[in-house]
Amino acid sequence: MSCTTHFAGDTVVHHLDPRARIVMTFAFSFLVALSEEWWVLGASLVVGALLVSLSRIPAGALARRLLRLNAFLAVVLLLIPITAPGRPVLEVGPIHYGMEGLLWSLRLILRANAIVLAFTGLLGTVELFTLGHAFEHLRVPRKLIHLFMFTLRYLDVLHHEYETLLSAMKARAFRPGMNLHTYSSYANLVAMLLVRSLERSERIMGAMKCRGFRGKFRVFRHFAFHRRDWVFCGIGTLVLVGIGLREIAGG
Amino acid sequence: MHIADGVAPVPVAAAGAAIAAAGVAWGLRVLKDEQIPKAALMSAAIFAASVVIRLPLGPSAVHPVLNGLAGILLGWAAVPVFLVSLFLQALLFQFGGITTLGINTVTMGFPAVAVYGLFGGRLRRARTRRCTFLLGFGAGASAVLLSFALWAGVLILCGKQLAVIVGLALGPHLAVVAVEGMFTGFVAGFLARVYPAAFDVSEQMRREGGP
Amino acid sequence: MDNREIIRLREVSFGYARENRVLEGVNLTIRAGERVGLVGPIGSGKTTLLHLIVGLLKPQAGTVEIFDRPRAVEKDFWDVRERVGLLFQDPEDQLFSPTVREDIAFGPLNQGRSGEETERIVEETLDVLDLRGFEDRITHHLSGGEKRLVSLATVLAMKPDVLLLDEPVNGLDGAMSGRIQDLLLSLPQAMIVVSHDAGFLGSVCTRGVEISEGRVCEWAKGRVGGGA
Repeated sequence: MSCTTHFAGDTVVHHLDPRARIVMTFAFSFLVALSEEWWVLGASLVVGALLVSLSRIPAGALARRLLRLNAFLAVVLLLIPITAPGRPVLEVGPIHYGMEGLLWSLRLILRANAIVLAFTGLLGTVELFTLGHAFEHLRVPRKLIHLFMFTLRYLDVLHHEYETLLSAMKARAFRPGMNLHTYSSYANLVAMLLVRSLERSERIMGAMKCRGFRGKFRVFRHFAFHRRDWVFCGIGTLVLVGIGLREIAGG
Repeated sequence: MHIADGVAPVPVAAAGAAIAAAGVAWGLRVLKDEQIPKAALMSAAIFAASVVIRLPLGPSAVHPVLNGLAGILLGWAAVPVFLVSLFLQALLFQFGGITTLGINTVTMGFPAVAVYGLFGGRLRRARTRRCTFLLGFGAGASAVLLSFALWAGVLILCGKQLAVIVGLALGPHLAVVAVEGMFTGFVAGFLARVYPAAFDVSEQMRREGGP
Repeated sequence: MDNREIIRLREVSFGYARENRVLEGVNLTIRAGERVGLVGPIGSGKTTLLHLIVGLLKPQAGTVEIFDRPRAVEKDFWDVRERVGLLFQDPEDQLFSPTVREDIAFGPLNQGRSGEETERIVEETLDVLDLRGFEDRITHHLSGGEKRLVSLATVLAMKPDVLLLDEPVNGLDGAMSGRIQDLLLSLPQAMIVVSHDAGFLGSVCTRGVEISEGRVCEWAKGRVGGGA
């Protein structure tokens, strides 16, 4: 069982340099977060959908992720127009459904979905450790990268240990309920794993010292830009500039 | 209690990012290379716990937040740890967002540090089991309460219309505050009996930290 | 044949807690080319002994001499760790990098070797262990046996003069066990091998040492190890 898998594949997106993908994702997300124009938001959604289909993200997994996001947005859509001032669109008894609020919520839905689609298509397709390396090349602080890498390395190990201990508890007739016994049993589980983690981290530090570690990590360099990466950056920049200009023109 | 992409207008997201960056920078300064495995493993343990464990509450269940626990065990290092954790949550579960990474790091990580300041020292010196439990309860409950307050504040900054969501969330979150308090109290009690050195990690970082 | 003493423990005593001594007045000498099997009941201090040799633990009494120099403080052990390779009991503790290549490269890079040299060492080491093609595999996705082999690779990549192997075939099936056995027999280094597997030790080792109640004594090859 692994909670750190990405969407693997062999598409053109998968072969793009992760550094370019990271930069483009962040740039796109911030631009979209800024936008208000309907045309721009619609186009962004299309771009997001395009990226997701180019990288062949499995429909089922994608649907599950979008469901989580849109469940929250549905609540927003339902509530905000009620509380926001504005000319009413719908009247159900005493509840006035306002136009301003409705438009605001719809914009939010477009924005959020566009960003999540782009994010999933571009970054959901990178192997996580590779992502860490890419961030390192992008000059993210070394200690943060190592924190990321170590966390990633042991996340599955610990996840597995939790599942195992939980199974052992259930095998001894543990049934979760809203009571103190349940909370304290789960708490023991967490505390036990924390203790084991602390002890394991000591052993890892011992293993590192045995292989000459004296306080500074050293890293391998790799990644090289290919022609397709320049093409991607070129197209990406054009799209971003287009979005930006349209937004400025409309605003 | 995470703010999703697109909800926050750029000025708010940028301010959040700037404040978070400062906190992360300080946390990294305090975190020595040798302590990275320790911080990372505890972060992985806390992350995994918050995913695997579901605490029954009324008709459904909640995941423990554990930022209070992270605070007392990690001190300032909790801020970069939460940045990593939030990034992974956005990437793996679409929980939170990437434009809102800064904001979410502030709402989750800063209360952790505050709680470390308020309860860390006292927990290390606690003598009785009852005392440990109460301090742990205080730490867990306050952290979630502070996070909720920050989240509410930011949400309202994003749009006054969103205040209704805060209102709706208040009731359930108060329940979470109580559950989280109890949970953290129990964990603190266990650690005090089995591995009291766990509380010293944040102290070690504070003392040995810096260039 | 080269018969110099490499490791010399004199009257070494160690305990984790004040009252509880795991090792009491241990005397042990290891010479070049020897393959020493270390046996003893669970908890008798076998791992502790190995950790004392590389300085992860410091004795409360006695002296540790490696390569003819007394070693007492942390700095004394820096060069020891480059020349005495310790294989940990649990590969999870030893494989902490994302990919196999990076984990094997960790040691040589810390030894100050250049990028190209390190890359060459990684390839050579993988060859010795018959693990070609594993360079970019993710360490935590490997099977138990593969992890054990990669752990060994991470240690061998530093080209140590001595190997300390803590339960190298624990939990492995016959085939994998045999593979490691053949490998150890082909290596020139002196080594200390901890194991519960009497057959394995019998095939690999030239000499046997038993820990019991905090003390060590020689045992004749061929005797089933363990127990007082």
